[in-house]
Amino acid sequence: MSDRHDGSTIDLEKALVRYMVERKLSRRELLERIAAVGSAAALAPIIAACSTAGATPSPAASASAAPPPSAAPTASPSPTPVPSPETELNILNWTDYLADEVIKSFEAKYKVKVTQSFFSTTDEMYAKLGDDGGDYDISFPISVDVPNMIAKGTIAKLDKSLLTNIKNLGTEWANPGYDLGNTYSVPYMWWTTGVGYDPARLGGEAPTSSKALWDKRWSQHISMLDDWQEVFGLTLIQLGHSANTDDAAELDEALALLKEQKPLVRTYSTDTIGTMTSGDIWIGHIWGADRFAIQETIPDFAYFIPEEGGVKGSDTVATFSGSPHPIAAQLFINHLLDAEQSAANTNLIYYMGPNAAAKEFIDPAILDDPTINPDQEIVDKLEELLALDQAVRDEYLSRWQELRG
Amino acid sequence: MALLLPGVGWLVLFFVVPLAFIFIVSLGSRDVLDRVSLASPSLDNYFKAFDPVFLPTFLNSIRYAAITTVLSLAIGYPIAYWISRYGGRHKVLLIILVMLPFWTSYLIRTYSWMILLRDNGVVNSILQAVGLTHEPIILMNTDVSVILGMTYGFLPFAILPLFVSIDRLDANLVAAGRDLYASGRQAFRHVTLPLTMPGIIAAALLTFIPALGDFVTPDLLGGPQTTTIAKNIQELFLAGRDWPYGAALGFVLMIVTLGGTLLALRTLRREVIGAD
Repeated sequence: MSDRHDGSTIDLEKALVRYMVERKLSRRELLERIAAVGSAAALAPIIAACSTAGATPSPAASASAAPPPSAAPTASPSPTPVPSPETELNILNWTDYLADEVIKSFEAKYKVKVTQSFFSTTDEMYAKLGDDGGDYDISFPISVDVPNMIAKGTIAKLDKSLLTNIKNLGTEWANPGYDLGNTYSVPYMWWTTGVGYDPARLGGEAPTSSKALWDKRWSQHISMLDDWQEVFGLTLIQLGHSANTDDAAELDEALALLKEQKPLVRTYSTDTIGTMTSGDIWIGHIWGADRFAIQETIPDFAYFIPEEGGVKGSDTVATFSGSPHPIAAQLFINHLLDAEQSAANTNLIYYMGPNAAAKEFIDPAILDDPTINPDQEIVDKLEELLALDQAVRDEYLSRWQELRG
Repeated sequence: MALLLPGVGWLVLFFVVPLAFIFIVSLGSRDVLDRVSLASPSLDNYFKAFDPVFLPTFLNSIRYAAITTVLSLAIGYPIAYWISRYGGRHKVLLIILVMLPFWTSYLIRTYSWMILLRDNGVVNSILQAVGLTHEPIILMNTDVSVILGMTYGFLPFAILPLFVSIDRLDANLVAAGRDLYASGRQAFRHVTLPLTMPGIIAAALLTFIPALGDFVTPDLLGGPQTTTIAKNIQELFLAGRDWPYGAALGFVLMIVTLGGTLLALRTLRREVIGAD
C-alpha cells in the first residue's frame, strides 16, 4: 500500500493484522466472518419484528358471540334497550369528527364503554376496515364508496327497529342515490366543493361563477383539485350537464374546456391550505371545510358555491358484517340521529348534518352562513358525485390522463 | 457456501418475491368490483401499456432523471475530489456532513424547498429586498423547482461512490503524470478521469435509476406540465383501481430502464475504459 495514509488508517490496519495473526486467519476467512456477522446483524431486527407481529391475535378471534347482523336479526327486542346488552363499542374515525359530549352521553345512557381509533386518509380507513370491518363496530365511509362496500359484503344491513330516530332525517336524505332507503348506512355530514379566493389578491373583486377559475388575469395563480371526479364535476356543471354523466360527447366538451384552462393553472393539488396560505394561489377549487383552516392565516379569505351549481359530498355512518358489537353499534347510530347529538357534532365540525330536527340546536353562526347552510333553492342545485360504473369511470380517467399528460 | 444464505435469502425474500408478485398481478385483470382476478391470465396489459398517451410523461421522467444525473455528477465530483484530496484527517467527518441530510425525512426536505421557492418565500423575498426584482418570480411548480429538488435529494447518492473511487486513486500515478510534463488539466483528463470512471458510472446509475421513478418530488414541487410516468402509474392504482394495468406499466418502466442502463454500461465500458 502507498504511504499517503493518515494516522487513523494505519492503526486500524495494525489492529486487523494483529487479529488475523492471533487467530491464524487468512484474509479470505476474515472476510467471510465479517460477512456472516454483518448479515446476521441486519436480519435480526426483521426476524424480531416478524415474530412479534405473528403474536398479535387475529381480529375475528376476539369477536363476541353475537351473530352478524347481515342476516335478519332475531335477537333484537322492539323497544330500544337501555342499558345495551353489549358493553363495548369500537369506533374508527377521523380526528375531531365526533363531539366528546355525544360520546359521553351515549356511554352514560347505555352503559357502554366507547373506544375511538383514528385514521387520516380514506385509503387508511378502508385498509383498516378490510373486508368485514375488522375490530371496528362503527366507521364513516364516504358515500361514494358505499355501493362498492355493499357489493363486497363489508357493510351490514341496518335494523330499522333499533333506529327510532331515523325520522329526523331531512326528506332529501331519505333515499340517497348511493344507498336506496338507507338500508345499510345513515348519512352523517355533508359538505360542498366550490371556489375559494383571497379578495386582496383579486383587487377587491367578488366572483360568483366558477368561470372565474378560467380568468386569464389570474394566470399561474389558479389551482384545481387533484381529483378527477371533482374537476370534471365542476366543469360539467358549468357546461350545464350532470356531474355524473356518461355521455362521451359531454365529457369531450368538458375535456376541451379543461385543456383551455391548463396553461393558466399553477398546480393540481389537494393541499389547498398550503398553496393558498403560501400566496402562490389567489383563487382555487377547494373543499368547503378547508376555508376555515385558510382563514386562520388569511382572515378575509372568501368561499362561494358557484352560481351554476356545485358539487356536494357526504359521508355516512355504518356498521360492518364482522363487527364484534352489532347491537351497540346500531344504538350508537340511532344516538347520532338524535336532534341534539347531531347538532353537537355540527357545532364541532362546521358541516351540516342531514338532520332536519337538529336545526333548532345548531349554533346560529353556522345556520346563518350561506356556504355551510345554503338556502333550499341552492341546495337543490347541488349535485352529489356518485360511484360510477367501471366502464364510465374509465371514460373519465382516460380523459383525465390526456389532460394531465 | 452456507454463509451466502443470509444475503441470498434477503435478496430472494425482499426483492425477487415482491417482483414475482407484481408480475403475477400484471398478468391478471380487474373484475367488476375492482379486485385483481387471475381467472384468465394474459399479456394484454403489456400491450395496453405501450399506449402513446404515456409517451409525454415518460419523456418527462427521462428528461428530469437525465438532467438530475448530469447536475449531480457535475456538482458531486468536485466536492468528492476536494474532500478526498484536501480533507486530511477530517475526511470522514466531511463525508458524514454530506450524508447528514439523509437522516431527515425526504418529504421534509422537499417541503423546505417549497418554503424557499414559493412566491412569498425566502428566495423571492431576498431578491425583492435587495432590489433585483419588484415582483415575485414564479419558481414553484415549474421545471426549475422539480430539478432543484431532485438534484438536492440525489446529490448524496452521487457523492458517495465518487468519493470512494477518487479516494482509492493512487496519488503517485498523478504525480508520475506530472513528472512526465503533463499539465494539471492533462493529468486530470488522462490519469484521474479514466481511473475514477467506475465511480462515475456507479454514481450515474445510483442517481439516474431512482430519479426515473421519483414520484414525490415532481408531485409536490411540480406543476401541470411536469407530470411523470410514476404519477400515471399511481393514478392507475388509486384512481383507476386497475392494479394489473398499473403493475404492467411499472414492469415495462423497469425493463426499459434496465435495458437502457445495461446498454449504456456496455458502451461506456468499451469506449472509455477499454480504449484506454
